[in-house]
Amino acid sequence: MNSEKLNGLRTRIKTLEAMPTVPAIVQPLVALFQQPLDQIETEKVIELVSYDKTIAAQCLRMANSPLFGMRKVESVRHAVVALGLKRVQAILLGCSLNSTVPADRWVVDAVTFWRHSLGCALVSRQMAKIIGYSDPEKAYLAGLLHDLGILVNSLVCTEDYRKCVQTASERHMALHLVEEEFLGFTHCQSGKVLGEHWRLPADVIEVIECHHDAGNITAGPLASLVHLSDLLCRVRDLGYGYYEVLGIDLAGDVAWTTLVRHHPQMVNMDLARFTMDIDGSMDEIIATVDTVFANKH
Amino acid sequence: MAIDLGQGKTGLTAEADLSDPAYLKIRDVIYQISGIYQPEEKLYLLAARVGRRMSALNAKSPVEYLEHLTLRGNREAELRLLLNEITIGETYMFRSPPQLQALRTVILPQIIEAKLKLGFKRLRVWSAGCSTGEEPYTLAMFLLEESDKLLKGWTFDILATDLNDNSLAVAKNGIYGEYSLRSTTPELRRKYFTQVDDKRMQASDQLKALIRFDRVNLSDDSKMLFLKGMDVIFCCNVLIYFDLSSKRKVVQHFNSNLLPGGYLFLGHAESLYQVDDSFRLVHFPGTIGYWKPPVGYSDGGKP
Repeated sequence: MNSEKLNGLRTRIKTLEAMPTVPAIVQPLVALFQQPLDQIETEKVIELVSYDKTIAAQCLRMANSPLFGMRKVESVRHAVVALGLKRVQAILLGCSLNSTVPADRWVVDAVTFWRHSLGCALVSRQMAKIIGYSDPEKAYLAGLLHDLGILVNSLVCTEDYRKCVQTASERHMALHLVEEEFLGFTHCQSGKVLGEHWRLPADVIEVIECHHDAGNITAGPLASLVHLSDLLCRVRDLGYGYYEVLGIDLAGDVAWTTLVRHHPQMVNMDLARFTMDIDGSMDEIIATVDTVFANKH
Repeated sequence: MAIDLGQGKTGLTAEADLSDPAYLKIRDVIYQISGIYQPEEKLYLLAARVGRRMSALNAKSPVEYLEHLTLRGNREAELRLLLNEITIGETYMFRSPPQLQALRTVILPQIIEAKLKLGFKRLRVWSAGCSTGEEPYTLAMFLLEESDKLLKGWTFDILATDLNDNSLAVAKNGIYGEYSLRSTTPELRRKYFTQVDDKRMQASDQLKALIRFDRVNLSDDSKMLFLKGMDVIFCCNVLIYFDLSSKRKVVQHFNSNLLPGGYLFLGHAESLYQVDDSFRLVHFPGTIGYWKPPVGYSDGGKP
């Protein structure tokens, strides 16, 4: 993307903030979570969550969803304590993003988008645990936010993006390949601009930027991990909502090689079994998305 | 290893015995021996099947049943009976659309491109362990439907083998009831079947002409050595009945039966983990296949 286009994109993204739909909670939330986790005051988080009724409600629904299996979480306080700060961060960002996009601006529909994002979050976290990646909750957050740019594109160029997604689905192609052709930039690039603007953690921004380009030598293991999870989701009915022509040798992927270098025990990973476990989790992923994110669209 | 969805088990409280760790152990024994895997969230399915075997054996608990599978003298026979319960009723036509979709969108285009370079226009598919024939007839319909598209100008044939003479006789006869045809569209039924009576239909001569049925024991080295030039092999829920060393041998045979760049498909819950590393696991939407890389293929590239 040339610098002129990039600047144009930056300006358009800045105007997003003025939109009434962007929850006030986003900026303070991101700022709060810049601190080390043990220094974050739970009270502050509870206060923030309670501030926005929609988000508080979504947070409660998430805590009460089958994914967390807790019985009757009735207060925001209970939800925050029970879920833990890291998970609350991810949920809050997810819920905030969800309310950022007005119902008529969703291009990839909300249900599909959140099934893919939540699926990718869960698969990333599980893979992180299996291979011994140090911060599985970070992997979860990165998985949840990796396609942030899809929402940016939906907001800043809704109609062009509709054509783009339509074409990608007709050609059965990956979205980022068609975005390049239609918009001149991809959701990786637009997501990065918003991520920087919101001051998301640097490694999460890297995931947003590099999850389709894991061969990028500067990218760290987290980008490789989310890259693989993203592919796995797209071949297990947790993709962009259309049939993509894909035949992927995951263990032959550059991202796999990168991860094995960092986490040698990964060579023993039983990929077939892991894939079947994703299928096993499908019902609950769908149930959660349907109760938490998709209700209003 | 289940995908960890958060905190602890969910939704299993109504059937209290599902939390019995013996079920996970039974699941793992099945996986180790047969390669058939049941994700934790689907244990209730396994429990129902184990339940049927438990009452047949008068076993009082899953733990006691686990003993039948692991310690008792009849464990091999018992495993076979359990696997029969697990795979029961899975045979019908168009059972796995994702496999056919992968063939249409990725595998055939790949093979066609590679073969055209060499001037070949012939395709061979093998249904190994074809049972009563639903799979080879599905493949025959699939290939015929592609014969004026992807496979225009190509010749193709299907080898369908099984060990069981009775199954083969049914397959050759090609008469099927509603269960076998339940996923076959009216259009395909009209095109490729004729009505036998009000409940059954028979495969047309056009379908039958594409398929060569033969009795093959996959453990019979001398016979396996002569089956060459395959592009794609389907072997669904067959290897699960072999012990590890026989399974390895069969899979090695499959590897040499296949042309370079060919694919092997197994049943949807089957895995070759720790059975074979000459194939590469390839993910397609909704299914996984095993790919025999061409000579000179190295890691880090993509098929």
